[in-house]
Amino acid sequence: MKIEIITPDKKLFEGNVKSATFPGSEGSFGLLNNHASMIATLKAGEIELIEDSNNTLKFPVKGGVVEVLKNKVIVLAE
Amino acid sequence: MPSLKEVRNRIVSVGSTMQITSAMKMVSAAKLKRAQDAITQMRPFAEKLQEILSNVSSSLDNSENAYARNAGGKNILIIPISSNRGLAGAFNANIVKRTWSLIKNDFNGCHVTVLPIGKKVQDAFKRTDFIISGQDLPSNLNELFDGLSFAKTSPVAEKIMEAFATKQFDKVILVYNQFKNAAVQITMTEQFLPIVPPTSGKSTSTDYIYEPGKEFIVNDLIPRSLKTQFYKALLDSNASEHGARMTAMHKATDNAKEMLRDLKITYNKARQATITKEILEIVGGAEALNG
Repeated sequence: MKIEIITPDKKLFEGNVKSATFPGSEGSFGLLNNHASMIATLKAGEIELIEDSNNTLKFPVKGGVVEVLKNKVIVLAE
Repeated sequence: MPSLKEVRNRIVSVGSTMQITSAMKMVSAAKLKRAQDAITQMRPFAEKLQEILSNVSSSLDNSENAYARNAGGKNILIIPISSNRGLAGAFNANIVKRTWSLIKNDFNGCHVTVLPIGKKVQDAFKRTDFIISGQDLPSNLNELFDGLSFAKTSPVAEKIMEAFATKQFDKVILVYNQFKNAAVQITMTEQFLPIVPPTSGKSTSTDYIYEPGKEFIVNDLIPRSLKTQFYKALLDSNASEHGARMTAMHKATDNAKEMLRDLKITYNKARQATITKEILEIVGGAEALNG
């Protein structure tokens, strides 16, 4: 699935990933391919992405919101 | 006719002024590029945030929100945003003028407080009764522009939002120059708080799962969107400043060029006059000897 991490200052990441883990407001949650449409808020923590090449990427965030729509994930992070 | 030496001195001084203004123009052009990039970078964020917010809040009643309180009270906070430096044409004067007109016309009879951002507008309101004092708000915001970033502006936005939520103010207005292009800046008056309800334009009918809940998300998103709005105003103002300075310096350079041309003509005329005078003297002297 495609994922974009955007902050007010710049675009942090854009690419395809296998899975993503987010620090949701009500506990951490993971996303896999073909997840249903969803909007969720984040609290301070780390976003963990596993790329198609099995690379693990970590982005610390202070908070934000995630939108999932048709295999496209947009993260508005701070 | 001014003396040769006088004209020569003026030519030198106008020339060096021209060098300064054209260098400033170059610097502003470079800074403008960067400021413009910053706006372009943040635009997708702001747009997406607005989209999600209107999506979520379309089915919710927002009047309960602390930032939507529309009491119609008389405590107005005006936040004019100018630059720290001058030599940018009418850039700062426009902001000051607009703020005064707001105080005198739109909010006549209200209790107005001014929270200036930027040295120029602070200087303009320093000695008036409107300047911020006593309230729990940051009073010196001029260094915001040194390395403008979201992380730096959001605590300020939070303070302002807090002051609104605790009913110190009933309305918060932003006055800033919106960046249109390098030559055109529009002086904007924008209501920051209470929030203007998002116009429900395109409402995508996707069934989202809301995690944790719609209301929670809205309450989380509204402060975020306010902070983004505040940041955007600052970025706009910053880009406008460099644009305005670039134009002003471009004009100054052109004027200096013209002046230099006029001075050169005067100089040559003066030189010619001296030469003619000298020849006349020599001829006159020779005539006298012959006679």
